[in-house]
Amino acid sequence: MSAFEPNIIGFLCNWCSYTGADLAGVSRIQYPTNLRVIKVMCSGRVEPGMVLNFLESGADGVLITGCHIGDCHYITGNLHTRRKYSLLQKLIMKTGLEPQRVRLEWNSAAEGQRFANLVTEFTDQIRAIGPTPLKTSGPNPDILLNIRAAKEAADSFRLRALVGKEEKMVTVGNVYGGKISEEEFTEIMDEAVETEFQIHRVYLMLQEEPKSVKQIAQVLGISPRFILEYMVALRQRGWIDLKEAVEGTPLYVAQ
Amino acid sequence: MKPVLVIGGGIAGIQASLDLADRGINVHLVEKTPSIGGVMAQLDKTFPTMDCSICILAPKMIECLRHHNITIHTQSEVIGLQGNVGDFFVKVLEHPRSVDAKKCTGCGLCSEKCPVKRPSDFQAGLGQRKAIYLAFPQAVPLTATIDRDACLWFTKGVCKTCEKICPANAVNYEQIENTIDLNVSSIIVATGFEQYNPKGIGEYGYGRYKNVLTALEFERLVCASGPTSGILNRPSDGGIAHNIAFIQCVGSRTQTNGYSYCSSSCCMYATKEAVLIKEHEPSSHVTIYYMDLRTFGKGFQGFVDRAQSYWGVKYVRGRPGEIIEDPNTKNLTILYENTEVGKVEKDLVDMVILCTAAVPHRDNEKLSSVLDLRLDEFGFFDTKDPITAPIETNMQGIYVCGSCHGPRDIPESVAEASATAAKSAEDEFRFMVNK
Amino acid sequence: MMATPRIGVFVCRCGINIGAYVDVPKVVEYAKTLANVVYAEENMYTCSSDGLNKIKEAIRKNNLDRVVVASCTPRTHEPLFQATCEEAGVNKYLFEMANIRDQCSWVHMTEPEKATKKAEDLVRMAVAKAALLQPGDEPEIDINPSTLIIGGGVSGMQAAISLADQGFNVTIIEKEPELGGTLRTLDTLFPNNMKASQVLEPLLQKVKDRPRIKVITNSKVKGVNGFLGNFDITVEGENVSENFNVGTIIVAVGSDSFKPNGLYLYGQDKRVITQAQFEELLKTNKVDAKSVVMIQCVGARNEDHPYCSRICCNEALKNAINAASPNREIYILYRDLQTYGVHYSKLEQDTKRKGVRFLKYQPDKPPQVTAEQNGLKIELYSPTVNEKVELRSDLLVLSTPLIPVSDAKELSQLLKVPLDSNGFFMEAHVKLRPIDFATDGIYICGTAHSPKDIGESITQALGVASRAAIPMAMKKVRTAAIMSEVDQKRCSGCGTCIEVCPYNALRKNDKGLAETIAAVCKGCGVCGATCPEKAITMHHFTDEEIAAQGLAALKEN
Repeated sequence: MSAFEPNIIGFLCNWCSYTGADLAGVSRIQYPTNLRVIKVMCSGRVEPGMVLNFLESGADGVLITGCHIGDCHYITGNLHTRRKYSLLQKLIMKTGLEPQRVRLEWNSAAEGQRFANLVTEFTDQIRAIGPTPLKTSGPNPDILLNIRAAKEAADSFRLRALVGKEEKMVTVGNVYGGKISEEEFTEIMDEAVETEFQIHRVYLMLQEEPKSVKQIAQVLGISPRFILEYMVALRQRGWIDLKEAVEGTPLYVAQ
Repeated sequence: MKPVLVIGGGIAGIQASLDLADRGINVHLVEKTPSIGGVMAQLDKTFPTMDCSICILAPKMIECLRHHNITIHTQSEVIGLQGNVGDFFVKVLEHPRSVDAKKCTGCGLCSEKCPVKRPSDFQAGLGQRKAIYLAFPQAVPLTATIDRDACLWFTKGVCKTCEKICPANAVNYEQIENTIDLNVSSIIVATGFEQYNPKGIGEYGYGRYKNVLTALEFERLVCASGPTSGILNRPSDGGIAHNIAFIQCVGSRTQTNGYSYCSSSCCMYATKEAVLIKEHEPSSHVTIYYMDLRTFGKGFQGFVDRAQSYWGVKYVRGRPGEIIEDPNTKNLTILYENTEVGKVEKDLVDMVILCTAAVPHRDNEKLSSVLDLRLDEFGFFDTKDPITAPIETNMQGIYVCGSCHGPRDIPESVAEASATAAKSAEDEFRFMVNK
Repeated sequence: MMATPRIGVFVCRCGINIGAYVDVPKVVEYAKTLANVVYAEENMYTCSSDGLNKIKEAIRKNNLDRVVVASCTPRTHEPLFQATCEEAGVNKYLFEMANIRDQCSWVHMTEPEKATKKAEDLVRMAVAKAALLQPGDEPEIDINPSTLIIGGGVSGMQAAISLADQGFNVTIIEKEPELGGTLRTLDTLFPNNMKASQVLEPLLQKVKDRPRIKVITNSKVKGVNGFLGNFDITVEGENVSENFNVGTIIVAVGSDSFKPNGLYLYGQDKRVITQAQFEELLKTNKVDAKSVVMIQCVGARNEDHPYCSRICCNEALKNAINAASPNREIYILYRDLQTYGVHYSKLEQDTKRKGVRFLKYQPDKPPQVTAEQNGLKIELYSPTVNEKVELRSDLLVLSTPLIPVSDAKELSQLLKVPLDSNGFFMEAHVKLRPIDFATDGIYICGTAHSPKDIGESITQALGVASRAAIPMAMKKVRTAAIMSEVDQKRCSGCGTCIEVCPYNALRKNDKGLAETIAAVCKGCGVCGATCPEKAITMHHFTDEEIAAQGLAALKEN
């Protein structure tokens, strides 16, 4: 049986990290063959949903690289990358997938050796963790559901709005001149992440087949009280409705 | 519209060329060495932002290469001038690379197999290159060149390995020098500067003590693309330097052994290099021995404050009188008067970096006689008036920018380059209108 | 319905650079099996004129509408191949590269089999993206060849003169009744003691002589709308209210001087004055003090103004030279003498030769000034001699820093350009774009950027005259088609995209929905990644294209 060769996807920003990778090449610095590069103009283009999509599809690891803070070719792009990466990590932590499968690193255009070291290290790390539980030939169903929920949550209006506004709210403040501290914002974000994640989990389950509050609570291991809250939220959004009552217990269905 | 001649392909020459080319004026960019880029290409990072130097420079170099309005002439020098503003006739001598630029792909195989080694100018002498070589990995143009004084074929009539091995058949030993005639409306001189060689200061031991380096040598040492891949291996034994001293004003602000003026950027680049050391080896001790801390530029004071408070770089006001080497460890003792406490003190370090003066380029005299330009008492190009005409010269239609007319930093050189482009554009417009 | 793409794949050997490590023929054969690939070939050097001709021929013969080149890095060669595609009638945005050299053959030299597999994967990814690419339309905007210069001091005037001499129309707006700015208040200038009037008068005359320069005094800019090439300006003054359109804007509003109220008895004792006031006395020959002491860095390089104001040391030296006389003692108390460069080093030497004395003080032990009947007593700790030194003087001159003008914040908000932490205007990039703002079409020069002397201001003013002239000389500006586009049906007007754009390239239209200013957008993609409604398409880097690349990478082949 051949050794596990990780499939790793890398987002490289056009200005710093892609150039740094090229420099490793020009300098003939050798590194493992496992990385598949997607070039973006700025690391700030990378959305948590994109990364979660690739993880869902069987990527063993995803690497995001950009310019060092302060060096972003587009001035503030990597500040947003940082915020989005933090959101990404919060979501992954909820899925049961190892958070070390994703990594954010800054790499300048002059750091060819650093890039090579990074790829080598990351590849070794993924090798050590092992193949993704979401391998296409037989994905772990629980983690799969969670990753899908995380992906949907990452693309939700609420989380995208929060993480999009985060940098400004915490540094400059809002239109009324009010600034939020990092701690306050983290609290708000954590709560929003939990809610959106769970709501989407419930929704995905209901898309498979109608279920009652109690059934969902059992599967997800969450108190029925919270599940009911999520159901109410989903009904308000118009995503689910009451299907029928079976033996006095209401069943909900996705619209 | 006639083209403009820019002499010197460092950051100032590059900026002036791009400003002109971007607005539709053709430029002949003449560069003496095999690649444009100048000193900035040799730096690791730039103060006060700690930008990676080649990262911000390389895109501009490539833009020059690709620009339809810029013709780059490397390994070339201006050897003759006639005429006046609006109608200069310039003779440019192109020295042969012995490599066909149209065929060479910059693969570097020739350099790999060449048997002859020489000290690399790009690595400030700390590393080596071959007789046939590429100036540096991001060189523009990325074309090999043969140093005929080193090459076995040219000196002894043997070898020819590069020709045999080149997959693109690009080696051409028959290439000869070529003279081009240009007719330009104005000339921008951007020939840059050199570093003072501190060998003349016997008390500092440069050239005798292995662990005494110049700042530019150190820049290559600390750079990821340098001879040690950025590891602070000290020259004597390869050990990691942990205790490093910077000595300011070496060859500057002196009536003996050097020049009387201040070289403007050394306080800042010493701080930058000190921070680089701290970034590489957080546990290291770094001390800068200075006379006056020159933090006059935008962001400079903040940078120095952070170097002290966050990075722990030490600043001592005192001009060392002597450096003594321990013959066994090759460590160095610095003897100096600490003027803040009024005492003579001794510090033991494992590496000393001399922040050497920025001095006029050795070719200034030759170029000044070709262009009929005045030099100042030090050998820098003189300007018409430091206040009202800071980038104009005694010759109408010839302008200067960057360090060729005195030491200055990158932002100043870039702004000046644009300023000279404006003057050239004014000339261009005047002559177009008056036709 | 869209026609099925016809993709051609060109795999380069690059001599032996790729060919010695990657099985190029195998990659070519593999490419032929991919969906939408109708043609594939190998080249020795795709970038050679021979190779480029082969691409054009293949496009024509096989009716290719998308091209993938698997070779070196797009950073150097993409524009070349794009131009080649255009020459054969294929829009340059229908071109994609796979980097199988710098990021493959060169870094996997000991693993040729794996390198070949990786090359195949990279080609598969490029083909997947190429299939989704859309032709790009590079927007062109007209540039009004006229400039607004805010501020009529030495920088504003010099920039105006140069622009006029390059054939452009200029409007200078000045809030004072006259042009001249700080130059009006100065007597002599360093390093060569030139009279300020010798600089001012010729500039005023040159401005007057140029019909292309229009001057509006006693007025301020009240409104700025638009973008590069097309700024709508509203100007208001005492008897003036004007509206006009310009292509570029230059900020040259200068600076103010810090008044050291309460420091070293300034404001309490009339023998304590600023350098500016000292210069006024020198100008009118009213200096009769027997002993003058100057203190440098008053209110500078400290918490209040954590920067060095660059000119104060040299200003002090110049004034000291002009005040020097055999029966007058002059002391300069300094922290670090900022006599940088060739000219100021000489100025320092000249000052010392005139008998002016220099004493260093430490910032944590500043001079102590007490007012006494017969003069001022100045005590300071001198580190050189390690003791307290006492000086007596009848005149104490304080060197204070330049500070931003009081309405800098207002102007920065009007133009939507940033200020740095000290309140001076912040440029696009400290090293390589020192006199541009990040916002296209707006430039900065003079002491509004940071403290500097007259010569340096003139240099920067000429510099911005070149920068602003670039788009104006070209009359039109073409920008890359890599940009955002807001779906008007999906946008809910939340404005988050506008918040995150560093270039002000998004704005709200009259429906309250966001829209991209194509000419200004740099295509970074942050707005696209941010939009809560997912209403923004990033052309050439769409969600679908990125997903296609990644999923292609994960596909087993």
